[in-house]
Amino acid sequence: MTVRPRKVQLSGYLFLLPYLTLFAVFLLLPLIFGLWLSVTKYELLSAKPARFIGLDNFREALADPYFWKSLGATSLFVGLATPLTVTGALIIAALIHALPEKRQSVYRLAIFIPTILTVTVVGILWRWFYSGNFGMFNGYLERWGFARVPWIESTTLAMPSIVLMTFWWTVGSPMVILLAGLKQIPSVYHEAAAIDGATGFRRFISITLPLLRPVLLFVIVVNVIGAFQVFGQTFIVTKGGPERSTRVLVQYIYETAFQSYRLGYGAAMSWLLFVVIAVFSIVQFRFMRER
Amino acid sequence: MISSLLVFVILTSCNRQPAGSEIVTLRFWNGFTGPDGRTMLALVKKFNESHPKINVVMQRMDWGTYYNKLYVAGLGGRSPQVFVIHTDSLLRFRRANLLRNVDELFGTNGLDADDFDEGVRKGTEDAGKHYGVPLDIHMLGMFYNKALFRDAGIVDSNGEAKPPTNRAEFLDALRKLKRDTNNDGRPEQWGFTFTWHRTNCFAILSQFGGEFFNPDRTHCTLDSPANRVGMQFCADLIGKEKLAPSPENFDAWIGFRQGKVGIVLEGIYQLPDLLKQHGLEYGAAPVPILGEKAVTWANSHNLCLRPNLSAEELDASKTFIKFLSDNSLDWAAAGQVPVRKSLRGSDRFAAMTVQRAFARQIPYARYMPSVPFTNEYLEKYEFALERILRGSATPEDALREASVAIDQIIARYQAADDVKGAAE
Repeated sequence: MTVRPRKVQLSGYLFLLPYLTLFAVFLLLPLIFGLWLSVTKYELLSAKPARFIGLDNFREALADPYFWKSLGATSLFVGLATPLTVTGALIIAALIHALPEKRQSVYRLAIFIPTILTVTVVGILWRWFYSGNFGMFNGYLERWGFARVPWIESTTLAMPSIVLMTFWWTVGSPMVILLAGLKQIPSVYHEAAAIDGATGFRRFISITLPLLRPVLLFVIVVNVIGAFQVFGQTFIVTKGGPERSTRVLVQYIYETAFQSYRLGYGAAMSWLLFVVIAVFSIVQFRFMRER
Repeated sequence: MISSLLVFVILTSCNRQPAGSEIVTLRFWNGFTGPDGRTMLALVKKFNESHPKINVVMQRMDWGTYYNKLYVAGLGGRSPQVFVIHTDSLLRFRRANLLRNVDELFGTNGLDADDFDEGVRKGTEDAGKHYGVPLDIHMLGMFYNKALFRDAGIVDSNGEAKPPTNRAEFLDALRKLKRDTNNDGRPEQWGFTFTWHRTNCFAILSQFGGEFFNPDRTHCTLDSPANRVGMQFCADLIGKEKLAPSPENFDAWIGFRQGKVGIVLEGIYQLPDLLKQHGLEYGAAPVPILGEKAVTWANSHNLCLRPNLSAEELDASKTFIKFLSDNSLDWAAAGQVPVRKSLRGSDRFAAMTVQRAFARQIPYARYMPSVPFTNEYLEKYEFALERILRGSATPEDALREASVAIDQIIARYQAADDVKGAAE
C-alpha cells in the first residue's frame, strides 16, 4: 500500500468536513446528550434542573408493563412487515427482471411511486380506506356482497392492516435495490445451468439467491432497523389503538418525552430500543455472512 | 430522537429583536394550521398594515408539536412575545412560570373585563390573577342532518326538522333515524355516532354530575357512581340499544358528512368543513340534556404573553391583543364563538346561525380540568372510554383502572414537588 502525501490526506479530510460537522452537530452530539439524559431525572414539568440518578430510568423501563407491551407491538410489526416486504420486493423484482428491458421501467415506476409520498399523506388516505363504517374498502366489499372487515377496529387485525399499508408504501425501495442486484448477476451462470437442465425455480434457488445474498442482507438489515423504528403509520392511522394494540415503542417514547415531558425516562427507553436494534443487526450480519 | 429535537430547538430559537429598532417586532405563535390559520393570518396582515410601528410575525404549527416547542422555548427563555394557549393547558404553562399576568391589559384604554363571559375569563385564572385573554370559546354542540330528520318524520308543526332537546327525544330520534333496509344487521344509516370520545363523553359525564378530580385535585374520581352511570348510558347506546355503531373516534365525522348519520356531537370548529360541502342540509343546536342537567364541553384559545417583555414589547403586545379581541368577529366567521358579549350582540353575529346556536350553551359550558399533567391523565381517560365503548370492559372496571393509574400520576407529581420544595 502506498502512503499518500500529508497534503492529499488533509484535502480529503477537508472534503469530509462539511459532512462531519453536520454529523457531529445533529447526530453525535444529540446521541451523547441522549445518553446523558437517560441517566438523569429530567422532567420538564417540574421546571428544575436535571439530576443524576444512575440506572434508575432503565430499571423503571424494565419493570414498566407499558414498555413491554409497546415493545411487543413493535416486535409484531417487525415480525410481520419485514418478511412480507423483503419477500414481496424480491418476488416483484424477479418478475420485473424477467420482463423485456423496455417494459421494465413502467412497472418499476408504478411500484416505486407510493414511496415518494410522505407518511402523513399515506396515513390519512389509508385511514379513510380502512374506516369501518364509512371507508372505501368496506364500501366496495359491501357492494360486492361481502361482509365488512374491521380493518383497524379489531385489536387483532389492526396491526396486520398497518403492515399491509406499509407494504404498499415502502416496497418500492427494496424492490429497486434488489432489481439492481439481480441485474448484476452474470447471465452466464444461468445459461450454464439451463444447459445442464436446471429449471427456472431451481436456478433462482441455487444461483440467484446465493449471489444476491449481500444485497439481500443489506435490504433485510435496513428493513429491520426501519421496522423497529415504526411510528408514523400507527400514530396517524390508529393513534396506537384500538386499545393500545398498535401503540409501538417509539410512540410510547414520544408520549413519555413530549407529552408527559419525562425526557430522562424517554431517553432511557430510546437507548433500550437502540440496544434491541443493534443486537438484531449484528445477529443478521453474522448469520448471513457465515453461511 | 428526543435529544436531536432539543438540540434543534436550541439551535433554531433565537431572539431576532434588533436593539433600539423603531419598529417593534412581535413573534406570534399558534397552532392554527387549518382554515382558521388563514383567517388569523389575514387578521395579522390587517394589523400590520394599520400599525406601521409594529411588525407581527406569525408562526403556526400543529398543536401537538406546538405545545412541545412552546414549552421548551419557554424553559430556555426564548418564547415568542405573544402566543396562544388553550384553557385546559393554561395551568401547565402557568405553573412552570412561563406566562405573564395579563390583568394590566384590562381597564382604562384597555379591554373591558365585564364584556367577557365570567366563566370564560375564570378559566384563565390562577390564584386570583389572569394569565390569558380569551379570544373565543369553542363548544361541543349538536349537528344534525335536516333531510334525514324530515324523512324520519322528526319534524315540528311547520314540517321543519326538530332537533332533540332531552334524553327521551334523543333516543326516539335515534330509533327513527336508524335504517337497515335489507335487514342484514348492518344499518346503512345511523341516528348517532360517537365522534371524538374525549369531548362527547366529557359532556355526557358532566351532565350526569360526574367529576374527574376531587376539589383540590389530589385524587382522581373517574370511578364515581355518576361517571359510571354516564358511561353506562354511552355504552348502552352501542351495545344494548344498538342505536350507535361501534366507535371510530374522529373518523366517524366522515359519516355525518356523507349523510349516513343523523346526529353528531362535534365542536364548532368543524363548521369550515360543512361550509365547504354542498348538498348536505345541516342544522346546529345545543347538546341535548342526556343526563340530569345541561352541560357541554368547551375550550378557549387564549392570547398569552411571556413574562419578561421590554416596555416597548409590552405596549405593542397590548395593542395587538386588543386588536385581535376587537376583531374577533372576523375570527368567529371561521367557526368560533366570540367571548365578547358586545360582539355577540351585533347584527353580524346574528347572521351566523350555527355560531349563534352554539353560543346559547355558554352559560353552562364547561372546560376540562386544567392540571399540570393534562396529557398524561387524558391518555388514561381516553383508553378507558375506548374500552367501554368497544364493549371490552365494563364502566366499573375501566374507570376504576383509569382512576388508579391517574392517582399514580398525581402521586409522582406530588413526589416531584416535594423534592423541589426540599431543594428550595
